[in-house]
Amino acid sequence: MRVLVCGVGYRFLRDNAVGVWVTDTLAPQASNGIEFEDLGYHPVGFTQNLSERPPYDRIVFVGSADRGREPGTITTLRYDHVLPEATEIQERVADSVTGTISLDNLVIVAEAFKALPEDVWIVEIEPADETWGDGFSPTIEAKLPEIMETVWSLTKP
Amino acid sequence: MCFKNLPIEFDAAGNATLKPGVANPYSYVETPAPTPIEDDPARMRELFARNGAVRRVDFDPVTRVAGALAFHTVVDLENRQVMETASMATLFRGYEIILKGRDPRDAIFISSRACGVCGGVHANTSALACEMAFGIHPPPLGITARNIMQAVEYLYDHPIHLSLLAGPDFSEPAVRETNPEIWERALSTRTTGRAKHGYEYMAELMTDLTPLTGKLYLEGLYYTRLAREAYVLIGGKYPHPQTVVPGGVSTTIDASDLNEIMLRVIKYFDYGRKTAAIWDDLAAFFYEVNPKYRQIGTRPKSMIEPGQWDDPYSFDGTYQNCDDWGRRRWAPPGVIVDGQLVTTSLQMLNAGVEEFVEHAFYEEWTSGDNPRFPTDPAGNPLSPWHPWNKETIPKPTATSWKEKYSWSTAPRWDRQAMETGAYSRIWAAAQTGTGYRESNHIHSTGHSIQVNLPKAALPNEPIEWKVPETWGAFERNRARAYCILYTAAIAYDNLLLAYDLIRKGGPDAKMSTPYKIPKDHRMGVGLWGAGRGYLTHHMEMDNGVIENYQILTPSTWMASPKDPFGNPGPYEEAVLATPLLENYEKPEDFKGIDVLRAIRSFDPCMPCTTHLHMDDRTITREIISCACGAEGPHEH
Repeated sequence: MRVLVCGVGYRFLRDNAVGVWVTDTLAPQASNGIEFEDLGYHPVGFTQNLSERPPYDRIVFVGSADRGREPGTITTLRYDHVLPEATEIQERVADSVTGTISLDNLVIVAEAFKALPEDVWIVEIEPADETWGDGFSPTIEAKLPEIMETVWSLTKP
Repeated sequence: MCFKNLPIEFDAAGNATLKPGVANPYSYVETPAPTPIEDDPARMRELFARNGAVRRVDFDPVTRVAGALAFHTVVDLENRQVMETASMATLFRGYEIILKGRDPRDAIFISSRACGVCGGVHANTSALACEMAFGIHPPPLGITARNIMQAVEYLYDHPIHLSLLAGPDFSEPAVRETNPEIWERALSTRTTGRAKHGYEYMAELMTDLTPLTGKLYLEGLYYTRLAREAYVLIGGKYPHPQTVVPGGVSTTIDASDLNEIMLRVIKYFDYGRKTAAIWDDLAAFFYEVNPKYRQIGTRPKSMIEPGQWDDPYSFDGTYQNCDDWGRRRWAPPGVIVDGQLVTTSLQMLNAGVEEFVEHAFYEEWTSGDNPRFPTDPAGNPLSPWHPWNKETIPKPTATSWKEKYSWSTAPRWDRQAMETGAYSRIWAAAQTGTGYRESNHIHSTGHSIQVNLPKAALPNEPIEWKVPETWGAFERNRARAYCILYTAAIAYDNLLLAYDLIRKGGPDAKMSTPYKIPKDHRMGVGLWGAGRGYLTHHMEMDNGVIENYQILTPSTWMASPKDPFGNPGPYEEAVLATPLLENYEKPEDFKGIDVLRAIRSFDPCMPCTTHLHMDDRTITREIISCACGAEGPHEH
């Protein structure tokens, strides 16, 4: 089983960097079947890169997403491949090629260009602090072991 | 004499001096901004009584632009006029504050994050500022490698705009929705550029501009990939390169790397010819349908262009010699006022720049007298409002169209609003004529640029971009389209030069030069044209760290709010002059396509993807709620 774990977000924006921190930290545990990738680059580029690789059986995206939940909430979703309206997809593509990195942009753009496998999981972390700086908020810091465990468990069949 | 409004004159030797005998020569009396319509109840009542079709239309956010731009208008839908405009940069960049007190080399990597499209050019411009301050410059191959990187960066930038951002405004769905009569005409109108782009009828071409499914849209995506692939062969990463350092490039390249880049650049020969033909046809078709399309986004032909792509044997990194090495660039610097090139001097270009904050969310940092730096390092007068004298003091307040309404300052050159972009680059090159870096593939006639590249799949028929008689949205897009082939020619020139330098070896084939960070007080400026136009990084350093760092981007020039002299910024001015030509029967049907075409033709880039905390207010990028479908959410 080939699994790709993608860390999404901006470094130096505190909790926003949690996704890339997870993949940085887990990268030494990569094996033949499990790959970790820093997706701090734009979704169209990722989509194009995916199209040239052997297909993955599963892709796991991990990153922060501010959706008004209790900070530190970890939400695990299995993607159902439902896309928004074409107008929104188009706006997401424009947002992506002009440099905006976000979980939503990644998933929508990659799906719109049919780059994703059937089995896609999203691990969202509700941030407490996305201001400029290194390190995490205490809330997210305390949740790091749980986040790691959640992501690692999704690399298993 | 290039200045009309600044208190600068020139002596017999051509040296710039302040006009004598004038106390506080740069001081000015602010012209009050006109009262916004919605703040004037009597005028509101009068307008509505006379014409019920006057309404406020806000484009917030303006989509298909990079970053956060909002645009306020008051339109008269009956008379098809725009009555009032205000351009709002809605987020704060703040890099100037982040960079204070840091090692100047950090600026290369941090400032690169100012933009997700043109991060490479920020890194490059920052390196130029460091080199000027350190007193170093790269060896010829280092300069050539940077030139190649910058050229392929623009080969990424221009297709993004033409295919993915502006192109959809001229696609079948957009035209059918806003002007069905034009679509009907497109069905039977033959193109003139079929030999280059392959479309017999305009409707076929417009169908292929359709977002997500159109061949031209998808082809644009493909070409953004090719350019990124070429860039990372030297830069390591894109858009935030890892190899741009003071004194050159921190990697090695060989003929094999150049071959890889060349394979990709050559593909732009045909793509450039094809894209120019497409935008020629689009402009000709819309002008034929209705000559008023020439007025979409029109404003004075006033532009500022620092130039780019240094001659490896002329560039010495000094401010004292920047007029000479600037004029030797492949794309020469220039300031164009009302269509005429008034200077090609980088020192005069720099000396004429001021930034005003009367209508921006910043505090004034000067009363206009006793600037910290009354002159630049070459002795030319500097305004208290010049970037070297500027301090960034954010002061968020409530939005008021009459007072403060934008995070963009109002940059002006000789106190005039300027636009900048791929078109200012080709315009300055066209009017400069001879004298700048010679190329076997580019020829300036004084009123046009001819590009003649080897044959690829299409015949090697030269293309010629001519300085246009009228100026507006279609001409901006057309010029940008021609810049693909123009840029490919410069990439090709530099690749050939790099092969030659590597073959000859020796000191010229080194990629970087050693340096030490000086501990005394130094000044530096990077002057470069980004894909989207003017970019400067002004730096002051002391004790080995940054004292002040000021970034002035293309979008700051063009998204600018009104200035203290009562002049609107370029977007505001262009939209005010835009006739509303879309087809609507009732106000509710109004889509604002002509306003959006005008704004998007500038290729707005509002670097904004960084959050910043300041005092008691957190300014964050707006988070868009999840639109992706999901099943079985588990929260813990």
